[in-house]
Amino acid sequence: MGETLQRLCWLIPLAPWLAALWIGVGYGVGRSRGEAGEKTTARAALGGMGASLLLLLALDLQAWMTGAPPGEVDFHAWLESGPLRIGFTFTLDRLALAMATLSATISLLTTRFSVHYLHREEGFQRFFAILSLFNGALLLLFLSGNAVLAFAAWEVMGVSSWLLIGYAFDRPVATTNAVRAFVANRFGDAGFLVGVALSVHWLGTVEWKALLSSAERLDTMQSGLIAGGLLLAALAKSGQFPFAAWIARALEGPTPSSAIFYGSMMVHAGVFLTLRLEPLILHAPLMMALLFLMGGLTVGYALVCGWVQSDVKSLLLFSTQLQVGLMFMACGLGWFELAGWHLALHALWRSWQFLTSPEFMHGMVRPAWKPPGWVQGQTRLHAAALQRFWLEPMADALLVRPTESLGRDAQSFDDRLVNRMVGLPGTAGAVASLADWEERTEGGEESWDVSAAAAGGRGVMGRLLERISHALHWFEERLVLRGGGEGLLSALHRVGVYFLLADRLLSRPRYLMVFIAVTFIVIL
Amino acid sequence: MHQLPILLFLPLLGALGVAFLPARWWTFVRPLALTASGGALLLAWSLLREFDGASASLQLVAHSVWRATISGHFALGVDGFSLPMVLLGSLLCFVAMLASAGIKERVRSYHVLMLLLEAGMLGVFLAQDWTLFYIFWELTLIPLFFLIERWGGANRHHAALNFVLYTMGGSVFLLISLLLAFDAAPSGTFAMEEMAVALKTLPVKSQVLIFLGFLIGFGVKMPIFPLHGWLPLAHVEAPSPVSILLSGVLLKMGSYGLIRAAALLPGAVAALQGLLAALAFISLLYGGLLAWRQTDLKRMIAYSSISHMGVVLAGIASLTAAGLTGAVMQMVAHGLAAGSLFLLIGLLYHRTHTREVSDYSSLTEVAPRFAFFTILAFAAGVGMPGTAGFIAELHALVGGFQRWHGWAVLLSLGMLVGAAYSLRTIARLFTGPTRPEMRSIPDLRGVELAAAAALGAAIAALGVVPAPALGLIAASVERLTLTLSGHL
Repeated sequence: MGETLQRLCWLIPLAPWLAALWIGVGYGVGRSRGEAGEKTTARAALGGMGASLLLLLALDLQAWMTGAPPGEVDFHAWLESGPLRIGFTFTLDRLALAMATLSATISLLTTRFSVHYLHREEGFQRFFAILSLFNGALLLLFLSGNAVLAFAAWEVMGVSSWLLIGYAFDRPVATTNAVRAFVANRFGDAGFLVGVALSVHWLGTVEWKALLSSAERLDTMQSGLIAGGLLLAALAKSGQFPFAAWIARALEGPTPSSAIFYGSMMVHAGVFLTLRLEPLILHAPLMMALLFLMGGLTVGYALVCGWVQSDVKSLLLFSTQLQVGLMFMACGLGWFELAGWHLALHALWRSWQFLTSPEFMHGMVRPAWKPPGWVQGQTRLHAAALQRFWLEPMADALLVRPTESLGRDAQSFDDRLVNRMVGLPGTAGAVASLADWEERTEGGEESWDVSAAAAGGRGVMGRLLERISHALHWFEERLVLRGGGEGLLSALHRVGVYFLLADRLLSRPRYLMVFIAVTFIVIL
Repeated sequence: MHQLPILLFLPLLGALGVAFLPARWWTFVRPLALTASGGALLLAWSLLREFDGASASLQLVAHSVWRATISGHFALGVDGFSLPMVLLGSLLCFVAMLASAGIKERVRSYHVLMLLLEAGMLGVFLAQDWTLFYIFWELTLIPLFFLIERWGGANRHHAALNFVLYTMGGSVFLLISLLLAFDAAPSGTFAMEEMAVALKTLPVKSQVLIFLGFLIGFGVKMPIFPLHGWLPLAHVEAPSPVSILLSGVLLKMGSYGLIRAAALLPGAVAALQGLLAALAFISLLYGGLLAWRQTDLKRMIAYSSISHMGVVLAGIASLTAAGLTGAVMQMVAHGLAAGSLFLLIGLLYHRTHTREVSDYSSLTEVAPRFAFFTILAFAAGVGMPGTAGFIAELHALVGGFQRWHGWAVLLSLGMLVGAAYSLRTIARLFTGPTRPEMRSIPDLRGVELAAAAALGAAIAALGVVPAPALGLIAASVERLTLTLSGHL
């Protein structure tokens, strides 16, 4: 019984994904569109989440009765290359089961809440499909047995968060915010990949268990680098200090999605990753210090910014960031157990707060809360807090603008040198639209000229090709065709003329006599 | 065990039947010719059921002593090299017959000659005795001469004469080499396999001499660089069904013969490897560059044939299994691609009476099916993945790299030039502003569509599922590789 239950653990992340697929296909074939389709859509999403939760509860019960969590479950390999094996492996230890059960519960409740919240919204089906996708990814992350599977889940989470922030995709603000949030997350993803690559390089494995148990074999620098890469991803996903700004933009999505993404589960994904990496981080003291520092900076940042907020969602958000920063500080001090409990309690409490925040607005009787007096006195601090410490303009100045100007330089290099070399028109001559192009080709009739079509080449290579083919053409015409084929014919023709002449001469009696005489002389 | 003689005599019987058809039944000329050719096609493809791809030996052999005095045998058989050619040849012959609907004058003699040509070509691929091979080799010349001479374009007399003179000149060397080989072999036989065994002990010097004769004889047909003078003229002037056969099957006779000669004289091939490689690379680039320069569509495809047959020669010269596989696959791929290009261009010419690239534009709107099949054929010529050309060029490239390392870049360079002219031609034919005079071109329909679709399907099938075709030739290639490296 217990064994079969474990073998079914792949169904836990798959069930919401199947629900997402079902919703998507139903919408695609037109079965569940509009208000009439809301019921089936909601049922599918709730069914998927419910199935996951039931399976998880059964696993929990089994672990509680036997007294020990099942541990690793290995399905077949996904990729085998030399000594490296990446498989569909799941880790069902205390941490994973606790996190997964918690997130499944919150997800199910949030999904249920959304059914009414999004009633008669334009993108009802879309919302539930993405939400199910996200829930599945979250469960996969918690249960994943190796870093690659976790990375896959991590990416699906990033994509679904991008999709939900840009839920109102007809509003430019929403799409800009979605892109910014996604790009900020990509920094963390790069770190994740570096961590995975380094662990493959040094340890030859990506399995969490093997990776963490062999941490002793590494020196502090190596384990620090692996942990550093993965922690970069954790900090980015949890909106910690250098990446703290993106999360404020993420509030653009519908409230239930904010609740589950930024209130409860996704901000905590980074903390989960840190908890998962506990043995590795314990081996890298520098990383622990850095974690403490970043957590501390975030706490300060969120505290000051939180003071000056006047809307409830932003206030909640900064408060969340503050709490998550505290969790990272705890991890930096080595109090992983504490961070875990903090995470669980905070997630439950905060998602309730986020979900009730719109209602809270109705119940408001007092005007908005004012920042404390001494902050108002400190004008600079006040300005900094309002501007969120200029984190985004700073990122723009340091990263976005240099990248843009690099792109401009590359573009002009392309236009002035490369395009000219390969024979393409530069930007000045670039065609913006089909109409332009037709006008040009019809205006400049010479480009459709026969000679230009046949022997002309543009750019350096084209000219070279043109020269060589000219020379070869000359060779072909003169020597091969005229000298070979026609030359052969004309030579034969000439020989034929001579033979005809000889034949005519021979047919005259006197030459025939001479010929016979010569023959006789030769014979004799 | 009598399929092969039946396969060989079916077109001959068809030719006889068409020739002696009473005048009042002349409407049945085409149905009869199509039946004969189609029967040969079905019979050839039914050989696949009995052919064992795992074995390198001759199969389905039909053998009888023919002229005991010179020990000539009427020996037919197929192995991994000849079967693909037989399949290709019978398919292209049938397609060419289908495409002959545009021939309106002297229909009867045209079909007689076409069937004779088919019999000659199948005979070349089936013959397992050098005398028989030589007879069929020469037999193809006569119908071709008349086909070009009587149904060709404006310059047809010149082209036909030129073609025959070149090929006869090559055949003289071929015949001398055959006689020399017969003389040198102690067994006193013309049978291909026994002769190969007997010639093994021959010193390399005499092997090289004999092989040079073969090289000239087959090199004219293939064609290899300095011997290609007949090709542009003949391809351009021939009626398009004949162009299909010329580029699709006739050129393959040359490379097929060269492979057989290589099996006969492995020592000479090893000694002349450098020369063969140089000729291959020169043909490859020369043909490609000249194709790039042409404005006449048929002429362009003719020159691109030289380039593609350069790939075949390079594959043979690499003496590796991959290279030889590439050579055979390229023979098939080029047969299909060039055959379908000549078919399509012929049909297009029939509608517009121009072959100048620059007279066309934006055919995609007017004739989308034309556009689709032409682009597919060009893609196969360039070696796009998903087409037969890719499998061929990949193998040739791998073989070339194994043998010459960095020099294999010349192969890629040739392919690059191929891409340049193919893409430009596609752009010229199918894009750009629509021209008023090109507005009313009818698209492919009925029989034409079936013919083009058959070739297109073969190109795509070989590109997507190459394993059966590769399995067909693998054993024979393996054996030839061993022979060439001196292990057999």
